[in-house]
Amino acid sequence: MTVIEGHFLDGLSSKRIAARLAFSPQQPQLVTLHLDHQADTPTRIETQLKDLRIHSRLGSTPREIALADKQLFITDDHQAIESWLKLAKSKQRSGWLHKLENSLPTICFATLATAVALWACFTFGIPAAANFIAFKLPEFAQKKLASSLVLLDKTIFQPSELSAERQLALLELSQPILANYSELNPKIYFRSGMGANALALPNGEIVFTDALVNLVEDDKELLAVLFHELGHLQGRHIIRRVLQDSMVTLVVIIATGDIDTLDLLTGLPTLILDLSYSRDFETEADDFALHAMHQHGIHPQYFATVMQRFAQLDNNSKKQRAKDKPLRDILSTHPPTSERIQKAQQHAPTTAP
Amino acid sequence: MEANSSAAANAPAAKACNFKFRGDGSEYFKIWIVNLLLSIITLGIYSPWAKVRNNRYLYSNLYLDNNNFRYLAEPIPILKSRIIAVLAFVAYTFISQQDPSAGLVLALALTLAIPFFVNKALAFNHRMSAYKNIQFRFKASYGEAFMVFYIWPLLGILSLGILYPMAILKMNQYLVKNSAYGTTAFNFDATYKDYGVLFLIMIGVGITIGLPLWGISLLFASLNFVAPVLMMALYFILFTYFYAEVTNLFYRSLSLGRHRFKAQLTLPGLARVFIINAVLTVLTLGLYLPAAKVRMTKYLCDNLCLQAHGSLDNFIAAENDSITALGDQFGEVFDFGV
Repeated sequence: MTVIEGHFLDGLSSKRIAARLAFSPQQPQLVTLHLDHQADTPTRIETQLKDLRIHSRLGSTPREIALADKQLFITDDHQAIESWLKLAKSKQRSGWLHKLENSLPTICFATLATAVALWACFTFGIPAAANFIAFKLPEFAQKKLASSLVLLDKTIFQPSELSAERQLALLELSQPILANYSELNPKIYFRSGMGANALALPNGEIVFTDALVNLVEDDKELLAVLFHELGHLQGRHIIRRVLQDSMVTLVVIIATGDIDTLDLLTGLPTLILDLSYSRDFETEADDFALHAMHQHGIHPQYFATVMQRFAQLDNNSKKQRAKDKPLRDILSTHPPTSERIQKAQQHAPTTAP
Repeated sequence: MEANSSAAANAPAAKACNFKFRGDGSEYFKIWIVNLLLSIITLGIYSPWAKVRNNRYLYSNLYLDNNNFRYLAEPIPILKSRIIAVLAFVAYTFISQQDPSAGLVLALALTLAIPFFVNKALAFNHRMSAYKNIQFRFKASYGEAFMVFYIWPLLGILSLGILYPMAILKMNQYLVKNSAYGTTAFNFDATYKDYGVLFLIMIGVGITIGLPLWGISLLFASLNFVAPVLMMALYFILFTYFYAEVTNLFYRSLSLGRHRFKAQLTLPGLARVFIINAVLTVLTLGLYLPAAKVRMTKYLCDNLCLQAHGSLDNFIAAENDSITALGDQFGEVFDFGV
């Protein structure tokens, strides 16, 4: 007789009973379970291996063997269970998964392969999928994202304080450019609030803030900003960013296996990814702007100039703290301004047009 | 409640039974990474198996009084439910594109259905959790879930926060009082005052430290750089303190039959866990996540105990009734966690 020590739970009450599983090496398929009820004479359950469900081995957790009627035998003696199942040539011999989970080469390979797969998914897969949905499935993309100007007017924007003439002059200046991009349905609005900034909403509304208009010395600098915003519209960046962020969340949920993992922990990598996507879109819009300015015969230096003004504004308010530190690069929505200026200057033809 | 707890303190039979998590970060990492890779290779089809295996590891290593918990769910029902939930989500997106007004009706219907699905999801998760071979149960009415998810939070906002502690209390009562271990119901005896005091402490500390900090940073421009860092530190400390105290209050108010619970999370202890986990998770680009989960669970268990009044051997299993994983999976696809 071979004996495996463990305990027994009958599934009806929470009373734990010491138990021994016994079989003879000649007939390992026939199993007897001896239960040590207190005071009572020991009870026995006779059963067969084929009527037992032996749960797969998992790390160092106890081995569970389910009998009929939800009864349960639990033991920590993995070794004895394995040799019993081997002896009985049972199909329930757990095997490959536990072996994989305990083989160092597999772990190393899995770590590497998962890292590469996730990296490829985040860098290529998700942007490509978002791109596809945004451009090839226009109905999906045109879904109203509750981003109309009305909402912003209620929350952060106030009416512009620019004079009517100034507004009109700027609108007239930009009119021929907007006409070239009529498929984007662009319209320009002036508002105050939010500092020196410009933004483009998915339905074609482009907003310039008063602070931005007052920041520049030459209106062509504003055109440079306008081209950048048109670049966002042309690339459908807001829609793509929303799509990418939701796909990242989905992948993170699948990877971590549940939604209630500490939000702080999954939130950080998600945020870093979102910001990296944002920087990619800014670069894309910059490239678009520089190219379009070239086409419209506007010197790219204006782009560099307005960027410098932004940088100066930034430096004045923040006293150049953490200037271009790597951490700041990772946690920024935009690429480093110095890089953007350099690019514009490289784009400039050696002889001015 | 006063009479209750003093009676409990006088009872001679109170025996402290400790929770213990015997899992190990590196062991869980191995299981997690192998199953994650299998999920990726199979384009997600394997993911229910991975979920079951991960949960089995976490549950089976959780011990109370030297007996472990178990996770009982089978992968195939989870896979079926996942497929149904994903199909429903695709249909929903498709219909709302074709006909926005139909989409609106569907969204409203889904909003109304959420309390139902959360009830189902909780019932499934409780049913799939067992301790000493007795399953947990959850059964709540639609009306109560609706109140807890929509009406009480709304009243909290409309009353400018005065009723917000009440909303949290109602949520916890919903979660606890509808739960049972076998045939024995859980009870929850926290009061509005308990949660209100916690909120007042948070607001008080936030104002007495946060406001001067903000004022000083306005007066001295040279402190411009330090102030946001201090503000973030203050926010982190307040958040951690709140998390610890809410958890302590939850377990202090929880009872199962005559047995009570006691949690003693502390601000320094919890902050240490949060910081170590966050730093290592970022440094390893997320690979530390499973070990972080183990560290957090270990900390919780080390500071949690059950005060047994009498034997833990006399719990009785409840009757069987059929249950599906569908609510659980709708919860994951449509993203409404509790």
